Amino acid sequence: MEERRGDGGAGGPDRPLDPREWEESRGGRPGAGAGPRMTAEPERGAEDHEYHWHTGAKREHGAEDAVEFIDVVKAFGRNRVLNGLNLGLPDGQISMILGPSGTGKSVCIKHMVGLLYPDEGDVLVHGQSVPAMADDELFEMRKKFGVLFQDGALFGSMNVFDNVAFPLRQHTDKGEDEIREIVMRRLTEVGLAAAAEKMPNELSGGMRKRAGFARALVLDPGIVLFDEPDSGLDPVRTALLCELIQEVHEENGGAYCVITHDIMSARRVADYIAILWKGRIVESGPARDLFNSDNQFVRQFLSGEAQGPLGME
Amino acid sequence: MVQSAADRVFLPTKNLLEQVGDMMILTGKTLVSALRPPYPYGTEFVQQFLFMLRLCWLPLTISTIAFGYGAPGLQAGNFLVLFGAIDRLGGFFVLASIREFAPFVTAIILAGVGGTAITADLGARKIREELDALQVLGVDPIKNLVVPRFLALMVVTGLFNIYALIFGIFGGVLATLTFDAPLGPFFATLLNNASTTDLWGSVVKTTLFGAIIAIVSCYKGMTASGGAEGVGRAVNQGVVIEFLGIFAFNYVFTQTLLATHPEISVIK
Ligand SMILES: Nc1ncnc2c1ncn2[C@@H]1O[C@H](COP(=O)(O)OP(=O)(O)O)[C@@H](O)[C@H]1O
Ligand SMILES: [Mg+2]
Repeated sequence: MEERRGDGGAGGPDRPLDPREWEESRGGRPGAGAGPRMTAEPERGAEDHEYHWHTGAKREHGAEDAVEFIDVVKAFGRNRVLNGLNLGLPDGQISMILGPSGTGKSVCIKHMVGLLYPDEGDVLVHGQSVPAMADDELFEMRKKFGVLFQDGALFGSMNVFDNVAFPLRQHTDKGEDEIREIVMRRLTEVGLAAAAEKMPNELSGGMRKRAGFARALVLDPGIVLFDEPDSGLDPVRTALLCELIQEVHEENGGAYCVITHDIMSARRVADYIAILWKGRIVESGPARDLFNSDNQFVRQFLSGEAQGPLGME
Repeated sequence: MVQSAADRVFLPTKNLLEQVGDMMILTGKTLVSALRPPYPYGTEFVQQFLFMLRLCWLPLTISTIAFGYGAPGLQAGNFLVLFGAIDRLGGFFVLASIREFAPFVTAIILAGVGGTAITADLGARKIREELDALQVLGVDPIKNLVVPRFLALMVVTGLFNIYALIFGIFGGVLATLTFDAPLGPFFATLLNNASTTDLWGSVVKTTLFGAIIAIVSCYKGMTASGGAEGVGRAVNQGVVIEFLGIFAFNYVFTQTLLATHPEISVIK
């Protein structure tokens, strides 16, 4: 790896190794020729040595894409967080974006709801380009989304009840009685009915997260994004939360996207998995296919082993 | 090597200019957003207004009396006593307190006490992703958070200026008494030299100081990044930029006011 970085990294004239060729030379790309359509990522020049494992395999999931990333590049100063990201999140399924921390998973979410804009490329929500939207279109588009932010992002000046009621008061004309009923139902679901009157700073991290979860779902949105709903929760709560995600999804349908680095959660709830590393998708596809992938990086990541291409760097 | 050295020198400058540009844009958006209906920011405005009053009144009282007594009062008094002209201290206080010191002390207290509180509050909300959540839920942070703070700070700073100049003059009274001089001449020269131009100039100036403080504080808070440490950094940078902005703006304002109203330069 290091040697290759030496000769290829400086942008020298020698042609970089095509990752697909490389995979093939190692005994065939996983899933190649197995039938389903595969879209390959375009070749991207001298930096490709970093992307040995990125086959760009985008396996068919048999549904429309609710959200689509097309060649998205996003840099903060010199820090290139997304580097030609191609990803589609299927409608009607629970997708998971997996990846080591700091790879830009939260940045992905912020692109979907128009909180960040790509430097290059495009982000489509139900086929509409988010960066191209005017302010009022963006406002309308955001109503489709429910977002659970990483630490719950509860409003510190309101109690839990008002936090969960906020989207209802903001976007609907429902009366206070109806709002109370809906909010209490959601809070009971996440086990916070007793904490309705508490302020966010009186809650533990896990409770804040569950309150954020209730708030994200209170409008029954068509696309729900969960940013690490399971981090900081104990294993039992994580399992319960996963179950809850599945139940709610069965009830409401829509595209759910869960960001996590917990493989257990992925095994439990994911219909579709995308693995993000170094600003691109290593592989994405139906969960079952990915858990049987030949790609060493995918295998290492999904089994959580220390041996493999992913190091500490 | 040369490249990186040049980067080190110029990048911060470029960065600062970019930030100033962003703050100008924020000012524009804030003004548009304040004027265009709907106006959902009433409650937040009142809350912020009261919050600023509560936070600043005591530090401001102490600072203005101490400053009015100490700096222009005793220092100028010493000088005037030399010429047997302590009765002129009141006239000097028009220049000193109304035109410069009261606005200055007000601005410094509001930037240091109020502005930092705003940056810290918005910064913490930014770090907790509350601001992102608000936006996703269809709440425009400029209209609902920046506009009320902007208006509240302008009003509060303007009002506090009057409060500060009253207490500043009280400091002058104390200084006069310290020199065992009668108060009659102090007030006579004070009122003789003071004009309505001085007063409205002072109030307008501080109101605009308030606008600078609000925009910089909000901008710095809403762009904080990098955890708790990042909020600290934002507060620190915010107050530095506010002071620089206030000093620079004060210079421009004073020059303009003196140039357009030459009569106030005449000492009676
Ligand atoms: N607003 C921002 N400004 C600058 N850098 C950012 C910003 N948001 C994220 N980053 C950087 O992007 C990278 C990915 O962050 P993030 O998406 O939070 O990772 P994660 O996959 O753990 O959610 C990090 O290196 C972070 O420092
Ligand atoms: Mg994250």
